[in-house]
Amino acid sequence: MIVLSSVSKWYPNGARPALIDVSAEIGAGEFVFLVGPSGSGKSTLLRLLLREERATGGRVIVAGRDVARIPDRRVPQLRRIVGCVFQDFRLLPNRTVAANVAFALDVVGRPRHVVRSVVPEVLELVGLGGKADRYPDELSGGEQQRVAIARAFVGRPRVLLADEPTGNLDPATSTEIMSLLDAVHRAGTTVIMATHNASLVDAMRRRVLELGDGALIRDEAGGRYDQTVPQPVAPSAPPPVVVPAQPTGTAPDGERSPWATPARSGPVG
Amino acid sequence: MGDAGAQRPGRLMRPGPLASLLWTGLRRNLAMTGAVIVTITICLAMLGAGLLLRAQVHTIDGFLLDQIEVVVDLSDAITPAERSALEAEMRRDPLIVGVRYETKKQVYERFRRDFRGSPDVVAGVGPEDLPAALRLTLADPRASRDIVVTYTGLDGVEAVRDQRALLDPLYRFLDAFTVGAFTLAAVQALASFALIYTMIRISAHARRRETAIMKLVGASNGTIRAPFVLESAVAGLAGGLLAAGVLVAAKIFLVDGQFARQTMFPLFGWAAVWESAVVVLAAGVLAAAVMASIALRRHLRV
Ligand SMILES: Nc1ncnc2c1ncn2[C@@H]1O[C@H](COP(=O)(O)OP(=O)(O)O)[C@@H](O)[C@H]1O
Ligand SMILES: [Mg+2]
Repeated sequence: MIVLSSVSKWYPNGARPALIDVSAEIGAGEFVFLVGPSGSGKSTLLRLLLREERATGGRVIVAGRDVARIPDRRVPQLRRIVGCVFQDFRLLPNRTVAANVAFALDVVGRPRHVVRSVVPEVLELVGLGGKADRYPDELSGGEQQRVAIARAFVGRPRVLLADEPTGNLDPATSTEIMSLLDAVHRAGTTVIMATHNASLVDAMRRRVLELGDGALIRDEAGGRYDQTVPQPVAPSAPPPVVVPAQPTGTAPDGERSPWATPARSGPVG
Repeated sequence: MGDAGAQRPGRLMRPGPLASLLWTGLRRNLAMTGAVIVTITICLAMLGAGLLLRAQVHTIDGFLLDQIEVVVDLSDAITPAERSALEAEMRRDPLIVGVRYETKKQVYERFRRDFRGSPDVVAGVGPEDLPAALRLTLADPRASRDIVVTYTGLDGVEAVRDQRALLDPLYRFLDAFTVGAFTLAAVQALASFALIYTMIRISAHARRRETAIMKLVGASNGTIRAPFVLESAVAGLAGGLLAAGVLVAAKIFLVDGQFARQTMFPLFGWAAVWESAVVVLAAGVLAAAVMASIALRRHLRV
């Protein structure tokens, strides 16, 4: 589904590359955690998959297409098969939950009867069946992230990217979002989740790709958040829980985003 | 390829959701949209005024072409032989289709008729003061200048008067107003562009979240641009309708209400008004949409 071969990314006026020589292959229907400290290149990698940025070296192939070579007017097609959710939810504050989800179908020209039948289904699926007419600022952070997942999933993308989706949420809510993403995965979607949340990674034991300073330093099936050190004795202590410390609503890479104002999408929990 | 992959990329938004985006945009941007509409209205009203002035020139032309004559004043000393030779030469001239002789008495009668409204003028002139004349009807009244050149200075000819030349000041007046109107329209078009450019910038900022989501979920570039272009086109349409209203009002109150009583010339009719209104509406909508598309290149990266 996704093939990265020797992918590098230099941002203009970047002092060092954001990604260096990253190669990996992700099959259809896989679930992959993308881990690594802040600034290690996780978001950059996801942006390459969405063609929000272009690799400066190597090739990025998604669903058989060389992403860098897709002509501009075909990029929307790529984005219909690659959905994405973010730490800061990115909901439209003046639209209801149902309208936020319907928007994703409306703007790609889906017929009205499809929108009418699919939106309630998806809201039911993410556990928001009773809250279709609420506005985002009337929801908890976890509920807002559910809406964002519904919006990303409603067009039935083949790949779902999640960039620190639990970064603004408390541990219990994070677990709920995690199991929702797991459900999306079980529905047949390839899921790539960039995260700082060690306890989730450790609980799920899925394939882990770890980036360090832009380089792929680990690709481990059934891995933990931290490099599994060979231990002669079975571990008795629980793995350390890393508390995500990202300020609300601010993209960690400092990129200017329309959601930069922390107004309505605070972490309610 | 799954369900999503089977979709065609060019599919546009349904009219309903598009109208709702357009409506919220217009409401959010009310002051700016109002300013754009006012400038566009002035621009298009000027354009329409220029078109109507041109229609007026054509109307006068059409009227005069039937009536215009060249008058050849004959000197009192002309002999009957010289006069018949002159008349014979004129009848041979292909540019001239009619020659009519008026005696001094007939010229005086015509003079009294033309100036019956001004008894003072008539009182100061006697039948002997005005020369006998030959009145020439031309095949093409636009050729009157050639006739003037040909017959001026011939034996027995005192002066050749071209009636059309008398109208030159009127034509110059109308032409000047036409040029003025078109110039003002051009200046207003520039102002409209500046305002539309700003409107798009403000609008792009106000819609940045919607735009970002549209890009994220794979809306086509055309879909992302449509609300902006439509917003501008709606302003153009509103300006066009207002300008058309101004033209209709000018026809009713100014042209028919005032000028019709003050001039002996026929004035342009409703057909010219409707024609200008259609041009003004089409120009408003199209120009506003094109201006918005140009501004979008600068303000919306898709
Ligand atoms: N738009 C950008 N322009 C320049 N440098 C950037 C940009 N985005 C990210 N970077 C840099 O690229 C590196 C990787 O960033 P990022 O992919 O956001 O990491 P992560 O998501 O793992 O925190 C960082 O050094 C960051 O400063
Ligand atoms: Mg990041």
